[in-house]
Amino acid sequence: MKIFTRHVSRELAAYFDGELMRPTAAKVERHIGQCALCQAEYQQVQRGMAMVEQLPSVVAPDEIWQSIDVTLNAEPREKQIWQWALAATAVLVLVGIAYWRAGLGSGAQWDVVRLDGRPVVGAKYISGTGKIAPGEWMETDSSSRAGIKIGDIGSVEVEPNTRVRVVTAKPGEHRLALARGEIRAKISAPPRLFFVDTAAGTAVDLGCEYSLDTDENGTGLLRVTKGWVSFQWKGLESLVPAGASCHIRSRIGPGIPYFDDAPEALKQALAQGGDAALSTILGESRIRDTLTLWHLLSRVNPNERERVYDRIAALTPVPAGVSREQALRLDQETLKHWKEELAWTW
Amino acid sequence: MLRLGLAASAAALLVVAEGFTFTIGSPVASQEFQMKSAAFVFRTEGCVEPAKAQIGGTAEGLVKGTRRSVVLKVATGARPGVYAVYQNWPAEGDWVVNLKGTCANASAGAVVPIGPKGFIRESSKFYSRPATDAEVETSLKTLAQGGNK
Repeated sequence: MKIFTRHVSRELAAYFDGELMRPTAAKVERHIGQCALCQAEYQQVQRGMAMVEQLPSVVAPDEIWQSIDVTLNAEPREKQIWQWALAATAVLVLVGIAYWRAGLGSGAQWDVVRLDGRPVVGAKYISGTGKIAPGEWMETDSSSRAGIKIGDIGSVEVEPNTRVRVVTAKPGEHRLALARGEIRAKISAPPRLFFVDTAAGTAVDLGCEYSLDTDENGTGLLRVTKGWVSFQWKGLESLVPAGASCHIRSRIGPGIPYFDDAPEALKQALAQGGDAALSTILGESRIRDTLTLWHLLSRVNPNERERVYDRIAALTPVPAGVSREQALRLDQETLKHWKEELAWTW
Repeated sequence: MLRLGLAASAAALLVVAEGFTFTIGSPVASQEFQMKSAAFVFRTEGCVEPAKAQIGGTAEGLVKGTRRSVVLKVATGARPGVYAVYQNWPAEGDWVVNLKGTCANASAGAVVPIGPKGFIRESSKFYSRPATDAEVETSLKTLAQGGNK
């Protein structure tokens, strides 16, 4: 099987505009799904194009057209061509700069500090403190660590062997792209202001402290120590509270969260999956493991869903406002209410 | 008629008094990001007007053989009846949190041991009245002797 490994930066704009032939577009789509780097770049292209589309159109003053007419009539033909070529080049350069700024220049710079070794921002080593701007990469080797101040909402420690990029640095959106390695985030802000994109999906801060590691293929682990993190991928969401973890995988997204102190047999069964695994999970679950069971409700088939519901109901009383029928139908309000009640046991 | 009304009111109060209690949970249960650093959170149950409940308590400790008592720092949540307890007692020694509350004419109490990894749910005691001094001392002694999970 031929593996499509080349980065697709050059094709992203054409892919966005739907100008690629179908086989090439499929390759680009597949690559974006697997490559955090290109996924982040594609998101920048999307944002840049959205910004360009929002730019107001301005009518050129009549004097400009008059002067162009005068010039065209006065100059010899060959000179006119050169002037048009120069003007076109200038326009292209300006559009290019605007496009680059729209795509890469998303917000302010953040402070960075060296914690160990020789972390790199862009092509520069950080010896003490420095800055990182949207679009720039930070990279640490096996003996380097660094800190990034995330605006005024928190900080991120970048662990060894990590490659991470600042995507957006605005008051309403603080976004990193983690290509590989590990980060530890401490955020003190209302939910949904800090995001970390990976090849397996996006970690959405809900007011929390957590660590997130991933390899270049998007396989990794989210571990939450305070508050909540929502990990999302194509409509699939795992809500991970303090004391719990969740495996992530490319093209699969977030796994089922589990508490770190859950029985080993439950954790192994979660990793294995399958019918036999479900029996083990249900049998091994404690009251607190309703975190895992609640997530399973919406990820198993209807028959298995009944077993999961019955196990939760056996572990802890079903609260008022939650009916078996609504829960099995995956009524979103019912599940949300149930989760909030179950959280008192987590 | 007046007697009937009084009897009905008394019955209603009795129902409230029987149902008023505390539920404790980890900070994530509050669903409020501001409470993520609390030692634990709790909510009132069986209180018709939770916003009017009177809530307070103390942390009772045993530090190097000496009994200590610290008035609790309790924060009110955005949702009525949800509170957060922040650690304002010393890290040294053994401590239990003694919660007290009133709602209308009903009372509730809870004694929550604090272990090295945080509050100990399994060893917490809940009452439909404030805990007695003896109950607090027993819980503290059990904690100090390593009798809690």
